Amino acid sequence: MLSQPQRRISERALPVWRITGVIITLLFLSLLGGIIGLSIVFDWPVWISVVASILFLISAYVDILLFPHLRWKHWRYEVREQEIEIQRGIFVIKRTLVPMVRVQHVDTEQGPILRKYNLATVTIATAATVHGIPALDVDEAEEMRHAISRLARVAEEDV
Amino acid sequence: MRFLGWRGWQKKMSDPKRLHPIAAVIRFLKSLKEAILPLVLVLFFGGNGSGFGFWQVIGFSVFVIVSLIYGILTWLRFTYRVENGELRIESGLFVKKKRYIPFERIQSLDFSEGILQRPFGLVKLKVETAGSSGSSDAEAVLTAIKKSEALAIQDMLTSIKHTGIVEAKEVKQQDQQVIYKMTPGQLIVLASTSGGAGVVISGALAFILQFDELIPYDLIVKEFKGLISNGIMFISIVVFLVLLLAWVVSVFLTMLKYADYTIKKVEDDIIISRGLLEKRQLTIPLSRVQGILVTENILRQPFGLCSVYLESAGGSIEKNASSKALLLPLIKKNQLEGLLSPFFEEYYFNPEMVPAPRRSLRRYMFRSFILPISIIILALVFFRPWGYFSLLLIPIAALSAYLQYKDAGWNLQQQQLTLTFRRVVKHTIFMKKNKIQSLSMWRSHFQDNLSLATIGASIISGPGGSGGTVKDLESKDIIKIYDWYKYQG
Repeated sequence: MLSQPQRRISERALPVWRITGVIITLLFLSLLGGIIGLSIVFDWPVWISVVASILFLISAYVDILLFPHLRWKHWRYEVREQEIEIQRGIFVIKRTLVPMVRVQHVDTEQGPILRKYNLATVTIATAATVHGIPALDVDEAEEMRHAISRLARVAEEDV
Repeated sequence: MRFLGWRGWQKKMSDPKRLHPIAAVIRFLKSLKEAILPLVLVLFFGGNGSGFGFWQVIGFSVFVIVSLIYGILTWLRFTYRVENGELRIESGLFVKKKRYIPFERIQSLDFSEGILQRPFGLVKLKVETAGSSGSSDAEAVLTAIKKSEALAIQDMLTSIKHTGIVEAKEVKQQDQQVIYKMTPGQLIVLASTSGGAGVVISGALAFILQFDELIPYDLIVKEFKGLISNGIMFISIVVFLVLLLAWVVSVFLTMLKYADYTIKKVEDDIIISRGLLEKRQLTIPLSRVQGILVTENILRQPFGLCSVYLESAGGSIEKNASSKALLLPLIKKNQLEGLLSPFFEEYYFNPEMVPAPRRSLRRYMFRSFILPISIIILALVFFRPWGYFSLLLIPIAALSAYLQYKDAGWNLQQQQLTLTFRRVVKHTIFMKKNKIQSLSMWRSHFQDNLSLATIGASIISGPGGSGGTVKDLESKDIIKIYDWYKYQG
């Protein structure tokens, strides 16, 4: 079996993803409230509310606890001189190789939640695809952006 | 005109010029065409049902006049010129727009002659630039210019591309080389096996189904037997004829579209020209080719026929197609190598494909059955007796899964990765290592248990990406491909 890429993303990614999960859960909660409300008003059978509540609880568990944990556990990356390797996934693990020669530009970006935790996302674009590494420490992300754009400039065609 | 020196042209071409006035007409017709649906809705459903009212006629006339004026003004404001090695276009009615396109940035020129352009010896010239900005805005369209001018622009483009300097260049006729010309027979086969054929099959099916339904009817109402069967026969025949007509029309249109299909090689460009009423010409620089895609649909596969597309970097080549350029609409698969090898020397066209292992069939089956099974359950629960028809999905899903499994495969040959896979149509994509933008592999817990994995490679194709993904291959093989792509320090 191939060895995994070595570096992990920041552990602060977990609270960020959990907050996102809570926001989604709140949206679902209002939906659930709507369904229960309608069931009472229109005398719908009870099982509809029960099923909706169960689905809500499952999605809350999955979005807030399970997925962030699995996602963090599987997220790995490595920036080498000639290529970038990324591994990600929840159930299906995807590994991607991006040669430095193919890199067109690198961006860092930061949403409000990421900013609060002093994190940033690095986005690497080739002419055909875009790859993001989420939740890196801001300094690390800056450094990576510089490193990649420097390496991408000097990387040579090997064919 | 065409053989005038570049100096002579330069003087003339740097003056701002308008398009041929027919461009105003085309613009006008285009705005009419765009408005036709809302107009029809307003005319027929907006009124009180008693025909066209006074206000509707007024509104319609105002609209026509405004579009006409708009067309003329747009035409008046649109100028183009060639200056300092750039194509400079200025346009805009309210907001003035200037677009300067350096010749080096131009990827290809696309000529087409519409019905309105032809009588005046005009062409529509589409200028495509590299899709770096990714938007369709990155290109320019000169709706109606003289053919000689379009050719002059093309000559200029070739000379700049090759020398980097703006200078005159005689057109070398001897460099032209016809690679391929479609024969009338091929054209007929192409037209009759394209999408339109599906219509005929569904027509025939409907016809047969109608016959089946005759039987219970006969038993139940004997006295109306003649009448009803005649009625149904009549309807069946009419339906069939309508479908047949639709098919004939589609065959006819396809034939018009692909008539006179010729591929030429001029220096380092491939030039495809086609069409009878509307002549189209498409230039693809060989150096921009990112990969070669061969597709076989289910009607053509048994006859060993396929279509060949070039995936090329650069703007939108054909608006509707996802920037794949159709190179050969229809060709015998075994002729492929002989025809293409001279122009794509570094490609291997007959690699021996390694298939997916037997144990991956069950995963193909599983994937293929998820949706049909849920549909069948719903149909059986809620729509009995008719719901039973949903059981027909089972053999269809099984067959499609089996075909997908059978057509999955990969091959590595030196610098080339070849992937085959089937969505609906079988795809074979030939990619060179130095054109692959990124490579990914996927594996899930279930795949791990069976030592299977999925591979995907991305290449540039127009503004976005393209590529291929093959599911559930031997994981050892996938790692081999992954290692091949990895930098060998």
